[in-house]
Amino acid sequence: MGRRIAQIICFAFGALLFALYFSQHPTARSLNTAVMIDYWQIIFAITLLVGVISFVRINLSNIRRGDNRPYRIISLVGLAVMPILAIIWGIKGNSPFMWMFEYVQVPMQSTVFALLAFFVASASFRGFRARSAPAAVLLTAALLTLTSRSSLEGIVPQFITEAADWVRGNPSMAARRAILIGIGLGSLTTSLRVILGIERTWLGSDK
Amino acid sequence: MKRLNSRHWIFSGLFAIVVITMAANVNLDMRVSPETERMFNYIDSLPTGATVIVSFDHEASSLPEIRPIALALLRHTFSRDLNLIGIALLAEGTGIGYRLMTQTADEYDKTYGIDYVYLGFKPQYIAAILSMGESIPDTYPEDYLGYAYRDHEMLQNIKNYNDIAGVISIADGSLTTHWIEYGASRYNVKVSAAVTAAMMTTYDPYLASGQLHAMFGGLRGAAEYEKLIGIGGSGKRSMLAQSVAHIYVVLLIIVGNIIYFRGRRKDGGSS
Repeated sequence: MGRRIAQIICFAFGALLFALYFSQHPTARSLNTAVMIDYWQIIFAITLLVGVISFVRINLSNIRRGDNRPYRIISLVGLAVMPILAIIWGIKGNSPFMWMFEYVQVPMQSTVFALLAFFVASASFRGFRARSAPAAVLLTAALLTLTSRSSLEGIVPQFITEAADWVRGNPSMAARRAILIGIGLGSLTTSLRVILGIERTWLGSDK
Repeated sequence: MKRLNSRHWIFSGLFAIVVITMAANVNLDMRVSPETERMFNYIDSLPTGATVIVSFDHEASSLPEIRPIALALLRHTFSRDLNLIGIALLAEGTGIGYRLMTQTADEYDKTYGIDYVYLGFKPQYIAAILSMGESIPDTYPEDYLGYAYRDHEMLQNIKNYNDIAGVISIADGSLTTHWIEYGASRYNVKVSAAVTAAMMTTYDPYLASGQLHAMFGGLRGAAEYEKLIGIGGSGKRSMLAQSVAHIYVVLLIIVGNIIYFRGRRKDGGSS
């Protein structure tokens, strides 16, 4: 019975939002605005709460087990400190919250991201080999792109830049288009299957 | 002490060449790509006083690449006396966007509320894009600083996308896609993008089809844009580091393959 009610709610809201999206009627448009401005935000806030509770529960149980205890404590302290700073001093201008964001979070995230350059360099030496014809094609495309995206005008022949632009504008774009169209059609069919109740895995098992 | 293996040497080599090149401060010239020129011409073609939404749709991790891109773009828009509305559809872009906007506004003596406004973050980006198409003041009743939307002189006649010349999404991910799918397709707002280099090929089909009006990106795009506006910035300098790193990786690939093929010949082609 519970599954049936969930399915009916899913169908009703799926069909309603689908109709509202395409309708130009003033009532439909104002209802659409209300759904987007109010209801989506409420749903988002609740999902955020679910995420935070889950994060705290998982970390607490792992701390109890002694699994990566220092890191998990730091995570929980971070989770608690940022809202406290935001509630007391706000999140704007030169608030402590913004200081923590700019001088702790931003450098840490940028550092982790920058480490990728080192791993790419290492992987290019150890793993990027022309073992087969397709691998050789991939390798050539990578070399062309890397060279053309450097500021080496006057050093690198013009035809390399032109070849890299051709790779980006033809085979790369064709593949990307195919993927995008595939994703679009897949999303459309999955959405229809969910709305019409054909796809029911999101409801969980019968147990 | 444990012996260094090839990976450690590669890491050290990359670190050394980037530091040396940055210290040497070599001046490299570069050709401006047609796509960067197109973005520049688009901004240049907008009439004085036109209102543009700049959306900071990125996270903190990509700031070293996003900052020069955003600064070059904002400098150009402010120098053209365009009115800017700043928003952020990812929480992490909110504070960054505000800082970048106020920094460049100060450079051009622009006044908050008259020349630019920062509306800040709105969760649920698809809902935010769609609801701004219906009503921007309903979506953002207050700006980032807590002032009422209606109190700003610049926003008096801005109700929805019909009153906006275009949207520029500064992104490090796929959020620009949502601007195209919902903003451009549904409300016909002109969407352009300034993105990280890794995302450029993702948007190539949209640019080719005209769904995306203009796009530039990456450190190279930032350096090219700095060249076009005639203001030096961190894009050109960072591009230097990126260029030597690219050459280094190209050399590593070549050396790695030479070693591989020599080893294969020695083994009689068995490996």
